[in-house]
Amino acid sequence: MNELAVLDLVLEQELDRNPDLVFLATSTPPSWRTRFGAERVRTCPISEPAMVGAALGAAMTGLRPVVDLNRASFAFLVMDQLVNHAARIHYLSDGSYRAPMVLTSATRGPQQLGPQNEQCPYGVFMQTPGVRVAVPGSATDACALLRTAVRDEQGPVLLFIAPGLADHCDLRAALAAEPQPFGVAHRVREGDAATVVAIGSAVHAATRAGDELAAEGVHVELLDPRTLVPLDLPALAASVLRTGRLVLVDDGPRSGAPAQILAALLDVPGVALALGGRIAHVSAPEVPVPSSPVLEAQYWATPERVTAAVRRLTAAA
Amino acid sequence: MALALPADPAVSPMDPPQDGGLDLVAAYKAMVLIRAYEERILQARTDREVIGPVHPYIGQEAVAVGVCAALQPRDHLVSHYRGHGHALARGVDLDALTAELFGRADGLCGGKAAALVSDPATHLLLSSGIVGAGIPVAAGAAMTSQVRRDGAVAVVFFGEGALGAGVVHETLTLAVAQRLPLILVCENNGYQGATRTEEVYPETSVARIAEGHRMPVHRVDGNDTLAVHAAAAASVAVARAGQGPAFIEASTYLTRFHLQFDRPSGERRPAEELDGWLARDPLDALRGHLLAAGTAPDLLDALHSEAERRVEAAVAFARTSPWPAPELALTNLWAGTP
Repeated sequence: MNELAVLDLVLEQELDRNPDLVFLATSTPPSWRTRFGAERVRTCPISEPAMVGAALGAAMTGLRPVVDLNRASFAFLVMDQLVNHAARIHYLSDGSYRAPMVLTSATRGPQQLGPQNEQCPYGVFMQTPGVRVAVPGSATDACALLRTAVRDEQGPVLLFIAPGLADHCDLRAALAAEPQPFGVAHRVREGDAATVVAIGSAVHAATRAGDELAAEGVHVELLDPRTLVPLDLPALAASVLRTGRLVLVDDGPRSGAPAQILAALLDVPGVALALGGRIAHVSAPEVPVPSSPVLEAQYWATPERVTAAVRRLTAAA
Repeated sequence: MALALPADPAVSPMDPPQDGGLDLVAAYKAMVLIRAYEERILQARTDREVIGPVHPYIGQEAVAVGVCAALQPRDHLVSHYRGHGHALARGVDLDALTAELFGRADGLCGGKAAALVSDPATHLLLSSGIVGAGIPVAAGAAMTSQVRRDGAVAVVFFGEGALGAGVVHETLTLAVAQRLPLILVCENNGYQGATRTEEVYPETSVARIAEGHRMPVHRVDGNDTLAVHAAAAASVAVARAGQGPAFIEASTYLTRFHLQFDRPSGERRPAEELDGWLARDPLDALRGHLLAAGTAPDLLDALHSEAERRVEAAVAFARTSPWPAPELALTNLWAGTP
């Protein structure tokens, strides 16, 4: 089940709310099976491609499937069913079929799961048209985005959850969170010195960096996109046009989400000129995630790395 | 290089042919339409009117028609890239299908799908371009029937090449364990693309693979419309009653080999093998049944001319349909988008 336990509470409420909602996972809570029936809460063999394909068929015929993939690494197991089929059916059928389905998975936490089971692959899914990608930066947003994902009828959603969101979870706020529309960035902090765009687990580190810099009189604007597809490009571009400095912060590789956000921003008239080269990345290196905590230490977007990047950009003319 | 493998000694015997209440004239009419359509579409591809590849269904008509005759409108269907036959047997609109193959605005999917059509009106979910990939999707439709308790079943067509794909085995296990109302129809034509199945599989029949997943299996002569229909009707009845899935292995053969782009594709199969199957043409076989039962030959001949007339009208419709507006390429990414 979910690394972020509050998501299970939200999902249980949503199962209660909508009789068409079904849950597929390799492990399911016995209490859910009792309460909602084994036909809606399906314990499946370890067959993620079949589970996602079945979710698509169920979605196309009127149900709202949620598949718990467990780890984000397992998203690579289901690429054909998710990308070639679920993400394409609405387009391919020219709008006559819909595939409202949700895939949840955990990205990275300090869990020492190593190169195979720990990664932030959401950047890959910014290149697969038809999939929407949510990467919340707080437990409250995770709950709000999950509610939106299971209620809307638009198509497949990948919800990537950083296990570390549990460390800063305001349980009451998270449970009370209303559905959050996709494509609306959250302005975590206002400022003019630089625009910091942080994703998922990196939002907390960037928030601490912003606090530290504010104590020195450097006020950055911190934006959490919350969804990478659709991306709130107008909000990001407006901020960058005002500050003229951009720091992209992610616990995944720079070639993933950061590179694609930057490319999209540079396409907005005026942004390239406003930035004038004042761009920095705080991201994981382009290698797999190692297991030893000593080796892994340099893979995290720490507050220290973020403040160093901001200082470097603000020191430049 | 063909591995020397024994014939399939322990594979379960084929179901004996029997009359499952099939309307033989209606079945013959449907098969004649598919035959006329596929021959015409191949010509239209040679004439560069049809876009993309054409995978003709000629020779396998008895499978699509025998199975679809056992279905009800509420049932769901999943096809694949050799799917015109399934679509026509299911009653997909001939004009819209043809315009789609021509890439035109009035096509079933607005020109976005070509042969890989979807059609909600006939519950045709998709025609996957990826071998085996539609099978779990059909399983999902069967899950919906189970949740809704609406008595619908899901049917998926695939070639024996699909049994090479891992997701198919996953789905067989899941479907049996969850007793899904799912009917898997394997059109075993002995080839996977240009590769003979015995070169890459332990045996040419896939029945024992399905049995290994504890799936009830019917083996039938896929060129015998009555046998196919009887197996389908029995499987549908079991699935509708909530007693789980079934696997039908229909042995058949492609009269026109495999795939055409700009030019008709060459024949590469052994001549004696091809001749043997041509002598067992499914339309001839059903025509024989009908004549033996006293049906007037004139009636059957009239079905041929009517099919040719309908197909020609569909081609004319597709030709006059406009090309889609280029900006429509950006539409319908997901629901709610323009």
